Amino acid sequence: MANILICDDDREIVDAIEIYLLQEGYTIFKAYDGEQAIKILKEQTIHLLIIDVMMPRLDGIHATLKIREYSSIPIIILSAKSEDNDKILGLNIGADDYVTKPFNPLELVARVKSNLRRYTTLGNLNTENNALFQVGGLCINDDTKEVTVDGEAVKLTPIEYNILLLLVKNCGRVFSIDQIYESIWNEEAIGADNTVAVHIRHIREKIEINPKEPRYLKVVWGVGYKIEKQ
Amino acid sequence: MGKKEKDIEQRNNEEKDIEQNDAGQSSGREKKTARKGGRIIRMFLCVLQHIFLGTAVIALLIVVSGSTIHVNGLNTRMSFHMFHQNRGISYEDSDMFNSIFGYMIADIIRYGVVSSQLETDGAFDGSKVIDVTAFNYRDRGLPEHYVTADYRLDDLLKWANYGFEWTTAEMTQSQADSFLAPQTKVTIVDHDSQYYNTSDAGYLKSDIETYTYVNDVSANQLWEVSDGDYTGFVDGYEEDVTVSYSDGPVEIAVSEAADDGSAGTYDIMVNRYKTTENKNLEEYVSDWDLYYDLCNNVQNAANSLVHNYNEYQQYNEYYGYDNTNVRYMIMKTVGDQTQFYSNLNDQKTLEDVGEYMRTNGGDPVLAQQWGKYIFYNPEDMVYKTNTAIAEGTVRNLLQNYDYAYPESVKVWISVDTTYPVDDAFRQGWEGFRNYLPSFWQLLALALVSGVIYFVLLCYLSVTAGSQVDADGKRTVCLRPFDRIPTEPAVLIAAGAAVLAVGIVFILTELFDIDPTNIITSDLYLKKWFLALMFVLIFAADSVFVFFFFSLIRRIKARILWKNSWLRGLMNRAKEFVWNVYDNGHVVLRTWVPYGILLAANFILLFAALAGDGAVRVIGLVLLIAFDIFVGSLIYRNAREQQEIVDGIEKISGGQLEYQVKTEALHGYNLILADSVNSIGNGIKEAVEISMKDERMKADLITNVSHDIKTPLTSIINYVDLIKREQVNDEKIRSYIQVLDEKSQRLKQLTDDLVEASKISSGNISLNFEKINLVELMNQTIGEFSEKFDAKRLTAVMNVNVQDSVIEADSRRMWRVMENLFNNIYKYAMEGTRVYLTIDHLPDMTGCIRVSVKNISAAPLNCSPDELTERFIRGDESRTTEGSGLGLSIAKNLTEAQKGTFRIELDADLFTVTLTFPLADR
Repeated sequence: MANILICDDDREIVDAIEIYLLQEGYTIFKAYDGEQAIKILKEQTIHLLIIDVMMPRLDGIHATLKIREYSSIPIIILSAKSEDNDKILGLNIGADDYVTKPFNPLELVARVKSNLRRYTTLGNLNTENNALFQVGGLCINDDTKEVTVDGEAVKLTPIEYNILLLLVKNCGRVFSIDQIYESIWNEEAIGADNTVAVHIRHIREKIEINPKEPRYLKVVWGVGYKIEKQ
Repeated sequence: MGKKEKDIEQRNNEEKDIEQNDAGQSSGREKKTARKGGRIIRMFLCVLQHIFLGTAVIALLIVVSGSTIHVNGLNTRMSFHMFHQNRGISYEDSDMFNSIFGYMIADIIRYGVVSSQLETDGAFDGSKVIDVTAFNYRDRGLPEHYVTADYRLDDLLKWANYGFEWTTAEMTQSQADSFLAPQTKVTIVDHDSQYYNTSDAGYLKSDIETYTYVNDVSANQLWEVSDGDYTGFVDGYEEDVTVSYSDGPVEIAVSEAADDGSAGTYDIMVNRYKTTENKNLEEYVSDWDLYYDLCNNVQNAANSLVHNYNEYQQYNEYYGYDNTNVRYMIMKTVGDQTQFYSNLNDQKTLEDVGEYMRTNGGDPVLAQQWGKYIFYNPEDMVYKTNTAIAEGTVRNLLQNYDYAYPESVKVWISVDTTYPVDDAFRQGWEGFRNYLPSFWQLLALALVSGVIYFVLLCYLSVTAGSQVDADGKRTVCLRPFDRIPTEPAVLIAAGAAVLAVGIVFILTELFDIDPTNIITSDLYLKKWFLALMFVLIFAADSVFVFFFFSLIRRIKARILWKNSWLRGLMNRAKEFVWNVYDNGHVVLRTWVPYGILLAANFILLFAALAGDGAVRVIGLVLLIAFDIFVGSLIYRNAREQQEIVDGIEKISGGQLEYQVKTEALHGYNLILADSVNSIGNGIKEAVEISMKDERMKADLITNVSHDIKTPLTSIINYVDLIKREQVNDEKIRSYIQVLDEKSQRLKQLTDDLVEASKISSGNISLNFEKINLVELMNQTIGEFSEKFDAKRLTAVMNVNVQDSVIEADSRRMWRVMENLFNNIYKYAMEGTRVYLTIDHLPDMTGCIRVSVKNISAAPLNCSPDELTERFIRGDESRTTEGSGLGLSIAKNLTEAQKGTFRIELDADLFTVTLTFPLADR
């Protein structure tokens, strides 16, 4: 399968991640600083890189910058720095994903899978079908009523499906609870209700790797919900 | 920046300057030569300026002096200035000629008057009889009765020349009475006579005796005087006669003899000469008052005659036939006698002129025989002349002497315009022919030189002291003299002026020049004088320019006042007063000025009231000025206090960096302001330190949390890995469960810790946007639906507002709500309802209120404030999940978003109330 390079100065963390990813059947390469990582990247065919930020010799940010000069492989930054600024920096210099320590191992694995799928199947989708809606790794086939995230099928209830379809069709637009209610139930929304919010939460739990930090279905607090354009 | 650093920097700058100077030395040398050249040009211009001034003054002097003509009058030297209009006309038509002629006419008329008093038939007659009282009253008119005595003319002249002597005599009443004549001889003017006229009288006995009629010019009335008819001794007349015209100049002290026969002292005039009747004066009067009046009349008449005799002799000399070009004849007809006065010595000419005058100018050829003439006959109103002299002039001259000239007088005066004799006319004639040939050229030279002088002076004044420095900026270059303080410089200038005046004085003494008469002198013709003048003017202008340009440079450099001793003195005095005021005791600062104010007011007020005129005005002005001064001081004090109060308000209002400006403050205000500033600084420093501490704490917590997170990651991961191993031992699985929970809690704790410290140190940036609270609440309920379901909590939401849009950072608001709901989830009693209410504040419709109520599972035994203090929670829940920071974070975030956050505890009812201002539509 795919070759994954894990780079962190904390060997135990590298080993732990190795265990999780080996279980998923990936080939693992290990590095303990940025220079080693770059060296391995040159010697081996690597499909995905998990890299820490704070490392001796060459830190993750600079290593990512160097790698991005010649490679477009998915890079997931794994860092104890959880500030917004750190995340924005990491993503801006070319990382595809940003996971903060301490992380949920399952989430990390899911993100690895997701990034690999997108990397390997990018652009292979059939876009001729009018009933096919795609936002990043999220794909909705309105003919077959099938929803896939990074190629994996997701099971939604009809109402959840309709809400998601509405949001995906109007990708980027923010819908308030009332608007969603009126379009899905075809009834006038009298009084505030949290039904929609509950459904949205369910959808997020089904399509997002980490529902608290959603990638697709974002909550605009105090305003409504939207599907983020990728 | 420390002082040392500043010093170093300054030194560096100086070094840089030196380097720059080194670099620019070659160009600097060029500039220096250029400046030197400029100075030489300036000196040259200065010299040129002096030369032009000298030229202008000397040319002007020559123009003025050279066009002035001097002639010798009888007693005076007359100067006439020639103007342009005199060019092209003949001398006889000039103003000068007519002026000289006018003087001559006046002289000759006066000559005629004097002659008539002293002459008989054209020659001096010492035997003439003078009625002294009538002579004294010749120009005033005689009274009706008068006492007089007749003397010979030569006796009077000799007497006056010798002097009048008085003696004193001791006499009793009877002796005194017998000393005087028994009766007064009174001359009576006949009222009834047709010839009587009060304004005219014969004062020359000879005239009266010789001619029956005395002609009256103005009234044309004659009165007859006959000794036999009208004068005589009148018995007892002295009783009735009142003589009121005594106004003799000699005050004579007389102590009258008393009636009891004791002696009195009497002044008696010595009779040097007897009257024509061979009598003494006392023989004419019987009264002492009349005696003294008569004495006075004799004295006055004699003195006047002597004066006139001296004049007569001068006239005789000056207007003698051989000494003047004037020919004249005055003809007086009194009765049937004709008198004439003339300087013609040729009998034929005399007859011709006499004939001419008798015929009132019948033969014009004769009149012009000598050239210019006037002829005047007031009786027949004939006035003939070929000069510019008007009839009125001659008439006025004659009327001055109407006692001497009857209306029948005829005057003929002529000037021989061939000027055979060297007199005033000839001098004028020669001067007129020769005065200043190059008048216009010299005048133009003077004007042009003067204009050039002023242009140069202006140019040099404007450019005085100007120089262009290395940067191309104009600056003022001062000479060494300019650095002398103003007062000594003024003194030096004054000394130079005094020295100049002294030199001029010495020179005038040395060369015997009358400085007031330079213009009328002939000095302008002398080359040495002109050279001297030129040198003097050159030197004087050099000195003047030296001081003048120094003054201008001082003004330009603004040091005229700055460099003066007066200013220094004033500053010193001011400093002294302020120093005393600033350092004085409070008593000195308040009561002494107050006392001075009162004293000054009283003194000035009393001075003003007591004084008059200028003193009062000055006193009042000083009083008002002083009071205004004191008022302004009080105002300034109040203003300073206001500034300090403003400063305190600003500092207390949060502008900790504000400093009260202390430069202009004095006394207590200065101390106060300094204290306020140091308090402000103290607060500022304290706040800065506390902010810095807070920030450092936040940084520390953030950094530590990073270091905690890395090992925590391993713990969580390996715990998870162990969980994945098929552990069958129930005990180990429960241990792993504990590890799992506590590691998760540790994770939560570090996150919350970082967030709380960041918020409380103000280290977060907020992104305000419009959000709908109701929507947010619904979303939050949706998010927490599973959790609430798990604890069987029911959310009951009541919305009582139409509009619930506020301005806030949406993600932070979510964080607030998340924390609140987490709190409820954690601590609310299972199976209860959670009430969420959104409404307006009762009294504030512009604010929206969100209250969240729930029933606490554990009894709440702490204060609401403690719940929001970091790390404080209800005791019961200390060992359960949560960091205890949730409410604290929620509160801080709410307040950061301009909201309020309040916790109320009522038994088990736990209420959180948030208020936010509604967003503007």
